[in-house]
Amino acid sequence: MGKTAKGQKLFLGLVFLILYAPIFFLIFYSFNSGGTMSSFESFTWEHYAAVFEDTRLIMIVFNTVIVALLSSLLATTIGVLGALAIVYLKNRKLRNTLLSLNNVLIVSPDVIIGASFLILFTSLGVKLGFTSVLVSHIAFSVPIVVLMVLPKLLEMSDSLIDAARDLGASGKDVLTRVIIPYIKPGIFAGFFLALTYSLDDFAVTFFVTGNGFSTLSVEIYSMARTGVTLTINALSGLLFIVTVGLVLGYYALNRRGKTPITGVKR
Amino acid sequence: MKDIIRAALAVLIASALLIWANAELGKTSGKAGADTITVYNWGEYIDPDLLKQFTEETGIRVVYETFDSNEAMMTKIQQGGTSYDVAVPSEYMIEKMRENNLLIPLDHSKLPNLKHIDPYFLDLPFDPDNEYSIPFFWGTLGIVFNPELLGGQYDFSSWDDLWDPALRQKVILVDSAREVVGMGLNILGYSLNSTDRRELDEASAKLSELAPNVKAIIGDEITQMMQRNEASVALTWSGQAADMMSENDSLDYAVPEEGSNLWFDNMVIPKTAANIDGAHKFINFMLDPEVAAQNADYVGYSTPNKDALGLMDPEVVNDERFYPDEETREHLEVYRDLGPEMLGIYNERFLKFKMEMN
Repeated sequence: MGKTAKGQKLFLGLVFLILYAPIFFLIFYSFNSGGTMSSFESFTWEHYAAVFEDTRLIMIVFNTVIVALLSSLLATTIGVLGALAIVYLKNRKLRNTLLSLNNVLIVSPDVIIGASFLILFTSLGVKLGFTSVLVSHIAFSVPIVVLMVLPKLLEMSDSLIDAARDLGASGKDVLTRVIIPYIKPGIFAGFFLALTYSLDDFAVTFFVTGNGFSTLSVEIYSMARTGVTLTINALSGLLFIVTVGLVLGYYALNRRGKTPITGVKR
Repeated sequence: MKDIIRAALAVLIASALLIWANAELGKTSGKAGADTITVYNWGEYIDPDLLKQFTEETGIRVVYETFDSNEAMMTKIQQGGTSYDVAVPSEYMIEKMRENNLLIPLDHSKLPNLKHIDPYFLDLPFDPDNEYSIPFFWGTLGIVFNPELLGGQYDFSSWDDLWDPALRQKVILVDSAREVVGMGLNILGYSLNSTDRRELDEASAKLSELAPNVKAIIGDEITQMMQRNEASVALTWSGQAADMMSENDSLDYAVPEEGSNLWFDNMVIPKTAANIDGAHKFINFMLDPEVAAQNADYVGYSTPNKDALGLMDPEVVNDERFYPDEETREHLEVYRDLGPEMLGIYNERFLKFKMEMN
């Protein structure tokens, strides 16, 4: 028993090492004064200073975050409503069709989604830029949210709703006080998954950016043509720290919400 | 329910703050509300300080966007949706864009600084009388090599050196059909733009003799491999070679005497332009000798601006490898757009060559 536990730990450690080593390698060289990733010369902050001096790069980072936040918020709203509609549909056939259509969008290649959006926007005369990126990000995030919320809805027992009705709850009460609190973990999971999808999406965004609006992944791709500069390393390092901070914050919030002592029921 | 609403509000507030921060940043990088132009350029191809200087001088704000390949750029321009005012395609792409009616003719009366450009780079076959384009940077295709790793016995003044059996598994080629097949044509003394099947057959046969020497056919990775001494000789463009040499002092660059490719990246005004007057101002600004010198210094490519040369480091300007003399330039040839059918044949030859490597 003790032996297997040790083996398991070793395996786990190895997997994490492989997953994290490239990121730490990248961050390590962001402190290199040598200018390349080949040999470490001495410690420097200059690449971090370069990130903060480049206003255009910072604006692009902000743009990326704005698009991610807004698109996941809207996608979550639409996705939750969509999941509710799918679950409470009477017509079985229609319900299955809708579900399959949702799943097709998840597995279909980003390149195709991106190219079709480009054609759609240009034929409608929509200017490429913030709006086009936001709309397309909402579009590919909605199916993800639906997929995250749906299992929660399905596992919820109908008797909960019946009980609420018996106790005199109105339709609105049932939705806001029974269903939504129950599926809350699914909603948050959907939101965060949509957020990460939007932050790192390249293929769709590449097609629909324009008029000076760009996101980080598209910009880094263009910059990498002449070789990745260490500014990118520094930027990646900063983003990694922010991401770790967000994850820790999320856990802290979750923890607090669950401890019974402070547990004022909301 | 309450905490969901609270979370949603937090997201909205965070977004609003970021949008405000972005607007503030936008103000410092140029006057908001003033007229703007959108410049579509290769990544790392302009000194950002020059964009600020342009805004200060003219009051026109520059929206700057980058692309990584001629094809991607053309697709975006063709699709419309973005009002690009100035773009910087390579020479063969200009022919293609012109055929597709994607370019607006330039008004030379608005470009007085055109007189600073070396006449050698004007009125070229891909754009007679520079009706649509003005050269931005130029360069050659050649061989970058590491004399230390090769024992100093090659100078690559001839393509033949690459075929030396002693270089077995050492040569790196750039992954591009026109360049590799063109090298096969050049060594036999044929034109880079040959459409003659017999000549192409001969070039293919010559190239298969090179196959045992080829270590890899790759793209941008060449830069790092040469810088780290992982490879000793590579076929590449002069601009990339200059990048490599700035990091690794032991590297050298040569253009074989039989002839090679001469390439240009050129400023054009695409059909999508919304501010044609501003675009002319921008092109004229980039043609100013001081500006051109500063930009060439920043990017490290060769400038066609003859009056800028005097303002630059003489050591750079007199470097025959990047500013070859007229005699060498006579052997250089510019790519012509050969049409999709011929291009297919070139690609097919290149593919065949790649398969022979194994």
